[in-house]
Order: sequence, then structure tokens, then C-alpha cells
Amino acid sequence: MPEHRTSLLNVSDLHKSFGDVEVLKGVSLRVERGEIHAFLGANGAGKSTFLGCLSGAEKPSKGHILFDGEDHTSFTPREALSKGIGIIYQHFQVFEGLTVAENIFLGNELGNMFWVDKRAQIYQAGQLLERLGVSIDPRLLLDELTTGERKIVEIARALNSHPKLLILDEPTAALGEKEMKALHDVVRQVSHKEGIGVIYVTHLLDEIDEIADRVTVLRSGRVVWTRNKADIQPGDLANAIAPASTGEPLPPSGLGLGKSLLAELRNYTSPFTGPINIDVKPGEAIGIYGLLGSGRTDLLESLFGARKKIGGDLIFKGQPIELHSPSQAMAHGISLVASDRTEQSLFGSISAVENLLMPHFGGRVLPSKMRDARAETRLFDKIADKLSVHPPNPDLAANRFSGGNAQKIVLGRWLLDEDIAGRLILLDEPTQGVDVGARAQLYRTLRTVLQLGASVIFASSDPDEVITLADRVLVLGYGRQIAFIDNPRSESELVNMAHRTASLLEAAK
Amino acid sequence: MTDQRPAMPDDATASAAPSPTSPRHRPFDWVEFWITAALPIAVVLLGVFFYINVPVFFSWRNAINISVQIAALMTIAVPAAMLLMAGKVDLSVGSMLALCGVVAGLSFETLGVPGAVLLTLAVGILGGLINGTLISVMGMSPIIVTLGGLTLMRGLAQWLAPNPLFGFPESFAKLGYERWLGIPYLTWIMIVVLLVGVLVMRFLPVGRRIIAIGINERAAYLVGVRVKLTGLLLYVAVGLATSVAALMSIARINSAPSGTLGVGVELTVLTAILLGGIPFTGGKGSVLRVALALWLLGMLSNGLILMNVPTELSLMITGAVLVFAAGLDLIRTRRAR
Repeated sequence: MPEHRTSLLNVSDLHKSFGDVEVLKGVSLRVERGEIHAFLGANGAGKSTFLGCLSGAEKPSKGHILFDGEDHTSFTPREALSKGIGIIYQHFQVFEGLTVAENIFLGNELGNMFWVDKRAQIYQAGQLLERLGVSIDPRLLLDELTTGERKIVEIARALNSHPKLLILDEPTAALGEKEMKALHDVVRQVSHKEGIGVIYVTHLLDEIDEIADRVTVLRSGRVVWTRNKADIQPGDLANAIAPASTGEPLPPSGLGLGKSLLAELRNYTSPFTGPINIDVKPGEAIGIYGLLGSGRTDLLESLFGARKKIGGDLIFKGQPIELHSPSQAMAHGISLVASDRTEQSLFGSISAVENLLMPHFGGRVLPSKMRDARAETRLFDKIADKLSVHPPNPDLAANRFSGGNAQKIVLGRWLLDEDIAGRLILLDEPTQGVDVGARAQLYRTLRTVLQLGASVIFASSDPDEVITLADRVLVLGYGRQIAFIDNPRSESELVNMAHRTASLLEAAK
Repeated sequence: MTDQRPAMPDDATASAAPSPTSPRHRPFDWVEFWITAALPIAVVLLGVFFYINVPVFFSWRNAINISVQIAALMTIAVPAAMLLMAGKVDLSVGSMLALCGVVAGLSFETLGVPGAVLLTLAVGILGGLINGTLISVMGMSPIIVTLGGLTLMRGLAQWLAPNPLFGFPESFAKLGYERWLGIPYLTWIMIVVLLVGVLVMRFLPVGRRIIAIGINERAAYLVGVRVKLTGLLLYVAVGLATSVAALMSIARINSAPSGTLGVGVELTVLTAILLGGIPFTGGKGSVLRVALALWLLGMLSNGLILMNVPTELSLMITGAVLVFAAGLDLIRTRRAR
């Protein structure tokens, strides 16, 4: 091909509005063949909308997309695919009941209209995976694969339609460190060896060092800058994503507020976790660190009464208690912010204020028997102000908020009650999909809550978050308590502990 | 307080998010307006159409007629609409109505009117408890359980009373024709049920919980909503309402034929609910719009009868209206994204 001088993708001055809200305000971006172009931005910066314009899911209001020498103003998803734009969404789009090969060839089955050539599919899928440098048996069912391997199957499927540009939307969001490395190798293979342009969206700044050739940062619908990785100074990225969010140390937790323990777990066993032995002091934040599948969610949901307790005791305020449902847990003053926002926390189609108040109708915060629109709005405004919810519009449907802002609303549910002392708040991945700026704000809010005398148990797969927030850390591996440590000194100490023990357990099997 | 929300431009939002190029004024959303207004407009147009063809249609007396014809259906439709907002359905109401009617008809002599009425209500509540326990508490499929119930209870009613029952005590039969303030008792019952439904869904917290369950049952559970109990109580409400509707029906026709009483009620009720804009998956909806939809169906059958149009055509029109309404809603969802 003679057109090596032109870029693979050249987007100029792209605009997109929803109603009168302008989400993209003139975005320009060039992506070359064979480069890995990292694409960063806070929640609500317009990343998803921009990617939607490239994949055909959204129609831009204005601007040009020059792709592979052809000028387009918009695509349908089908056109985008046939022109050579492949996209892999953050949420998995694989089918568990089918084999790896069937997943890879889904919609493009080999054979003729009457039968599928399974052998050819298995053979070609095997070759494709080998080309990516991974050893996954194409005959396995998807159920038997790890999360990371599933992501790689998705990439293989995308490659099957011979894309020139591959878009990866937060591919490593649900992956452990080892799986992340394997995925990086695959992406490098795809890009540097096969000459495919890659747009790589991520929230993890460390990943940029690891994998990116160039970086573009988006903020409030505009491009802040595009730079070669070599030209990026430490601190540049965080600053570009969310200026002024760095600095300012966090306030301390509320440790030392009371003598008696708030809660104690004695040989506590939930279906996949335990026995666990920890105690929780008033005003203390306990972090749970472990890899995916270590039992974090299982333990938290069990403590909230949403899963069974198999054995042992939960002593709460000096009394052993048995919880059979979330409403019982809430009556004791225990609350949970679940891990998957859209699946488990949010009521997408109703208003933000109703989402915020759902656990409180008729309760202590909002005791009136009839609904009271003014009181409801007042409570929303208070939380919107405290957590900087944007936009601060109580009537907007919850699914119109960006990930971080939706998370603030979900978290806000448990911060409404002023009389928060003596409560236990359980948080499962509290900042999943939340950008750097909003994250700092959430941390600050949590510390305030701790100072008011509530205690927090939070699970996180981000060691940095655990170090930042936790007074003590429970390390889990394969459902077992590996350690309960006072002052974790460094991230690597945590990571080492979780990984090493995991491999020790594996070796023992 | 109004149900429609023509997304007002919010000043606070606009100033908090300064975007120099975005227009401050939002054009009035005509498409949304017409879709929302389609149902009331259809009611008005249909009224005018019948009035032109059969002037007697537009009279107080005929309005009362229509209300009496739909009173029992409305009594069931209100709680059934709330049930569907929570994402569940009850297809057994037609046969449950027959069973309740037969129980009442059989027990007037031995138990007296108050006793028979209480027993009938108890049967309705029990039916709702069984449906609710199997579906909401134990987690069986609503369609399978209530479809089974539909057949089972029809059989039970016919077994209890193979022949039509009639000749009810006068003190009961007058429920069917007596009026208060010029309005039949039957219409009053319908109005009360409707008001209770509106009150619950719009002003009481439990209304929000019902919607929440319909949108995302897991999330509702995790914020402490008693999902199973709420579902159970909704089925009980539908059962209770069905027994009330049974009493209304047998009083109006002054007989209880186990083979035909209540046949097709579940489908008419479901048609009104869907026409009223509640999606089959639940999660949103308005009781008043369901009432309006049922009124439309009542008007349609009443007017066509007045025009001497055969009932077959009336059925065809009703079916077409439902599909047309679903098409309108599709435009709305398409536009939303």
C-alpha cells in the first residue's frame, strides 16, 4: 500500500451533543498504524461517547473521521466493522456455554449455510491464539477460562474480522496483575507485530508506562494534550486528567474514638471464605486485599446478610448476631455498597434523588409516611454538595450520570444519616471505574465518616487504595485469611503476600 | 405531582455546567408530547367518533353504563398493574374470579350474606398467598404458576358448581344496581380502588420500592427492600381485588355460571395494563394511565355495540390498538438513545 504517509485514523474537530448537553467539544485525534495509543480521561470526560462515534454506536453532531484514507462523517456499527474498526467493550461480551472456537467465530462461522465446519474453526482458532502467543485450547468452554483469558478470546474474535484499528475499553479493569501482563503481551503482539492501530483506554496510570507509545488525555470533552510517552514527566498525567486533585493530604481516620470493639469476627465462615478472625474498632477502616476470586465479595455480602453464614460468629457491639437478610443488617446499622454498580446498586431509569433515598423511605432519615418532595430534594442537595455530584440535578435519571458520579450517589445513600457513629459500612470495590479526581473526593468523604465514629470494611483490588485508606489490612487468598496486618508498609508487600500465598496454596493442591 | 415530565431545563444544572456553545432554551419536545398525549387524545377522538355516529353515546347515562361494565375489571387492573410494575404477572385472575363467584354463590344460604362475603374474600386472599408464595418467595416462574392456576381454578369452580348458581339474597343483589349520590355502588368501588392505587404508587414510599424491584431486583434487595414480601403482598392484593371483583360481577348479572364467569378477564386486564404503558418487564408506569386505557377499551366495546358492529370486529380493533400502542412506545425508546 502506497499511502504510508497518511495516518490510519485522523479525527478532526468532532462534536457530539445529547439534547443541549455538549459532551464532545471538538476532539481531534490521530492514530498511526502499529502504535498503541493510550486514551485517558476522568469519568464523564467524554471517552465513551468518543469511542461510540468511532464504533458507530453514536452519530457525531459535527466533525470528520478520516479512516484509512476515506472520509466519513458517521458510521453504522456494521460499516465500522467492515471498514476495519474493531471494538472490545469493558463489559464482557462472550458466551459461557460456547467453546473458545465457537466464541471466536460467532457470526462468522466457517462452513456453509447448512453446517458449521467445527474442525476448521478449532484449527484456525488455535492458530490465531498461537499467533497471539497464548496457549488456550480452543475446544474449552468459556466457563473454564480465567477472566484474563476471556479478554484475550474477545481480542481474538475481533482480529478474526481483520481490523486495522482495534479499540480496547478498559480491558484490564477486572484483571489481576499476572493476567494484565499476559494481556499486555497480546496487545503488543497485535499492534507492533501486525501493524494494527490500537486505542487503549485505561484508568491505571502504571499501565501507561508499561504499554503506551503515545498518550492522549481528554477532559470535559476536549483534548488536553497528545504526547509521546518519552515526553511525559511524572505527575503530568494526573494533572492533565484532574488538575488540582493532587496534593492536600487526607484527614486521619477516626481510630481511637472508642475503647470497645464495634465488631468481631470469630472463625467467621461464609460459603467460599473463612475461617476469618478479625476485629473492627470504632472509627477504623479495614481494607480487604486479595486477587479476583479471593472471596472478598463473598465475605462482605455475607456480613450484610445477603449470603449465608456457614459457621463462626459475628459479634456486633458485644452481641453475637445472626443476619438473614439485608434489611436485618440495616436495622443493626450495617450497610453495603456492592461491587457492580449497574448490576447491583443502581436503578437506572429513575431519578437520582430516588436512587439516593431508596433505602431510606419511611426510615429514620426520611420518617414521614407520605413522600415529601422538598425534604427529598434537600437531602439530595446536601449529598450533591458534599460529594460534588455532577450535574447536581436530582431529577436526572441515574443512568445519565457518568460512572464516578453514579458511584457518589450510591455511596451517598449511607452518608445521609447524620447519626452515623457506631455504624459499619461495607464497601466492595468503592472506586471501581472512578477517576482520579472523584476518587480523592470519595477518600476524603470516607475519612470524614470515620471521624464521625462509623467503621468501614472495604475490599479493593488496588493495593494503592488499600495502603491509602486502611488502618489495618486483611489479606485474602483463595478464600483463606492469609494475614491481618497492622501497618502495611508498601504496595509490593501486599501484592507479594497475596501472590506468594496464592501460589503456595496452588502448589499444595 | 404530574405524571408526565417534559424535561424542564434546570437552571441550577445549566449554570453549574457552563458550556458556551450549548443553547439555553430547549425546544419543546413535540414527539414526546404526542406519544404521551396519544392515549388521552385517542379517548377524546373515539368519543367524538361515537357521538357523531350514535348521539346517545355521549350522555351521563351511557358514561355510567361504561363505568359499570368496567368496574370489576378496574378493581383487578389496579393491583395487577402494580404487580407488573414490580416485574411480575398474574394470569390466573379470570379463573380465580370464577372460583370466588362460585364460593360466594354456594355459601349465601348456609353462611348468610356477611359470612359468604368474608369467605369469598378469604378465598381470594388464599389464592394470592399461594401464587405469591410459589412465585415471589420460592422463585417459580410467574407465567407458569399462574397459567397453571388459571386452568386449575377453572376446573375447581366447575367441579364445585356444575350448574349456574342464581337467586342471591336481595341484600346482596342490590350491590349490583343500587346507587349512592346517583352513582352505582359498583362505580364507587372502582373509584376507591383507583384512588388507593394512585395514593400508593405516587405518594407512599412502598410505591417507589415496587418500581425499584421492577427495575433491578438485586439492587432493591441490597438496599434493604423486602423483595419477597413485597411481591407476596402484591399477589395477595391481586387475589383480594379479584374476590371483590367476583362479588361485583355476580351481583351485577345476579348469577354465577362457573363455566363462563370471568373468562378472558386476565387478558383484558393485561391488555389495559400494557396499553397503559407499563412494559412487560416492569419498572415504570402509572396507575391512572392504566385506568384511562381500560376506559378506552370500555368505550370501544360499548360504542361498537351501540353502532351495532359485530363483536368480532370489536375484538380485532382492540388487538390492533394494543399493537399500535406498543409501536408508539418503541419510537420513544428508540429516540432515548
